[in-house]
Amino acid sequence: MKIKKLLTILVVVLMMVGINSCGKKETGPIKIGVLLPLTGHMANFGTMEKNSYEMAKDKINANGGINGRKLEFVYEDDTGKPDVGRAGAEKLINVNKVPMIAGGYSSSVTFAAAAVAQQYRVPFLVNTGSVDKITQPEAFNLTTNDGAKFYIYRMNPPVSEYASGLEGLLSQIVKPKSVFIIHENTAFGTKGAKSFAKTAKKLGIEVKGNHQYSAGTVDFKPLLLNAKKANPDMVYMISYVMDAAMLMKQARQIEFTTPKLFVGAGAGFTMPAFKENAGKASEDVVSATLWHQSLPIKGAKEYFDKYVEKFGKDHTPDYHGAEAYSAAQVVADVLKRCNGKYTPETIKKALDATNMMTVFGPVKFTSYGKKIHQNKMNTYVVQWINGNLKLIWPEDLANAKFVYPIDWAANWK
Amino acid sequence: MELFLQTLIYGLLIGGLYAVIGIGMTLIMGVLGIINLAHGQIMMVGMYLAWVFWTFMGIDPYLSLFLAVPLVFLLGIFLSKYFLQPLIEKESILPENQVLMTVGIGMVLVELARFIFTSDYKSVETSYSSETIALGNISISLPMLIAFVIAIALTLGLFQLLMKTDLGRSIRATAQDKDAATLMGISSKKITILTYGIGSGLVGAAGILLLPMYYLYPDVGPIFTIKAFVITILGGLGSPIGAIAGGIVLGVAETFGATYISMGYRDAVGLVIFLLVLVFLPGGLKQVLKI
Repeated sequence: MKIKKLLTILVVVLMMVGINSCGKKETGPIKIGVLLPLTGHMANFGTMEKNSYEMAKDKINANGGINGRKLEFVYEDDTGKPDVGRAGAEKLINVNKVPMIAGGYSSSVTFAAAAVAQQYRVPFLVNTGSVDKITQPEAFNLTTNDGAKFYIYRMNPPVSEYASGLEGLLSQIVKPKSVFIIHENTAFGTKGAKSFAKTAKKLGIEVKGNHQYSAGTVDFKPLLLNAKKANPDMVYMISYVMDAAMLMKQARQIEFTTPKLFVGAGAGFTMPAFKENAGKASEDVVSATLWHQSLPIKGAKEYFDKYVEKFGKDHTPDYHGAEAYSAAQVVADVLKRCNGKYTPETIKKALDATNMMTVFGPVKFTSYGKKIHQNKMNTYVVQWINGNLKLIWPEDLANAKFVYPIDWAANWK
Repeated sequence: MELFLQTLIYGLLIGGLYAVIGIGMTLIMGVLGIINLAHGQIMMVGMYLAWVFWTFMGIDPYLSLFLAVPLVFLLGIFLSKYFLQPLIEKESILPENQVLMTVGIGMVLVELARFIFTSDYKSVETSYSSETIALGNISISLPMLIAFVIAIALTLGLFQLLMKTDLGRSIRATAQDKDAATLMGISSKKITILTYGIGSGLVGAAGILLLPMYYLYPDVGPIFTIKAFVITILGGLGSPIGAIAGGIVLGVAETFGATYISMGYRDAVGLVIFLLVLVFLPGGLKQVLKI
């Protein structure tokens, strides 16, 4: 009898707690899902982006949150694998019931997760996944006129535009006659290599080789020896951070000193971990980038300094961090314009009307070519000069004079 | 010709290292009868130990072999005594459950490493990390050569242990027939625990040899677990000599595939050989070598 009584009390208490939490919901935090690789071989990037999301969230909440309610990010780890990313997006939508997803690091994972978001009609704000088809409705069996049915939005430029900032430097200063392309055998790497081959053709540069590798390779020398034999004027590499470091370290080991330039296509080549792990071999390496803290964007320098202050000198954020921070800014701006109703539909409407300034630059979702809901941006060129990542192109925005020509043999001694 | 020779040498060098990674798994396979899916993760522990010794005490990675490998050996003993042995003793539990246990052990090790060291990439930059030795027109990276020499020494040492000592004979006997060995007065429990320790120590050593030329992060293990698995099958389950041959064959085949077909298919070359061996040579290289 006693047990029964106790149980009844317990049930009543539980019900009250339940009712209570239901009542709280109106004033509780607004939860937005964020899909990032927090473990696995891309965890280095995912961690930087998560840190940036958290920094932005703290600032937003300190300034009053979203119309009085707090903003909260629910993170889901995609481990860098498309199948896990898919499941993660499904969990965010079905279990966490978020009205919107942000994040998306690797191209393959982002594309898989985008299909889920599209299927459930939940807006997905992509901040890094860069393969072109993510914002091409035809990849989702829609047309460019179906903006109202298309739930994917992207802040960062697609991979085919990463090297556009580089074209000026190549055609005006370096004038290479040939290029050897090395890329990771993923969606990001393969598409990036393809579009750079097109760029090269446009600039009259002969493509002497276009070789792929799989991430995590111990020994790149067979590939680099082939490159050395081809004797190109320039080597263009699309790699994540540690492959990038290994490529440059081993290029140094086999004394591959003949190219005028070693160029990275963003991703790994702008990360502090690249410099730390490649050491001397990172010096004077050039890379495409989407952002630099010295650009004349309001808040860019402030974000950079705050990040370094919080996470230490060895953890300088590159464009990946800026992308994440500004994605959080966009999320806050969009939610504020939802008039207190946070459903996928209201959020989508607010996203369509986005026109704001972030630390990453202006954000406005437009359509051009086969793409819709795509933010259009310029890209830039950076170079590792004396261990610091300096903006060198375009020249009028540069914060350092580029080092060219480069004597690799002397650098690598 | 020069490219061919260079490819061959690189293949052999990396193959030597693969052999050490594979031998540990093959030993464990022979005695415990399970695939140790925590193999790469145990290697990761060895690498982190060597990294800690290098960063905080300035001990050269090759010297730290003497410090880190015994620690990894003890870790292996601990894991097998308290996590695997209890499963072996219960007859009702299938051997598959021990394999699942190794998966669990692997996950815990990775997350512990992430908790302590975060997901940042670490590497050990010694004065000789990027040194090369010129041999005619062929340049060989010094850490790779040292790793190869030490790998050979480790393998020879293991052979002495297996062939010439009582412990080695007991291990071989247990691998051949556990019940008969027990009847002959060998404590199969002790041998099982020790073998897991030795296997762990070996792969830990392989990780430390790899450290000066590679890099380190909590998820570095799985790639090498798969490599070790392929080598174990290639060589023939449970055969140390087979594993050495398997490691070298894998190293050479991968490097030739990388040079002459495409770097992107490097792993595919290894896996195609793996499939061919399974289909045409189910007993592995041990069948050809007759050992």
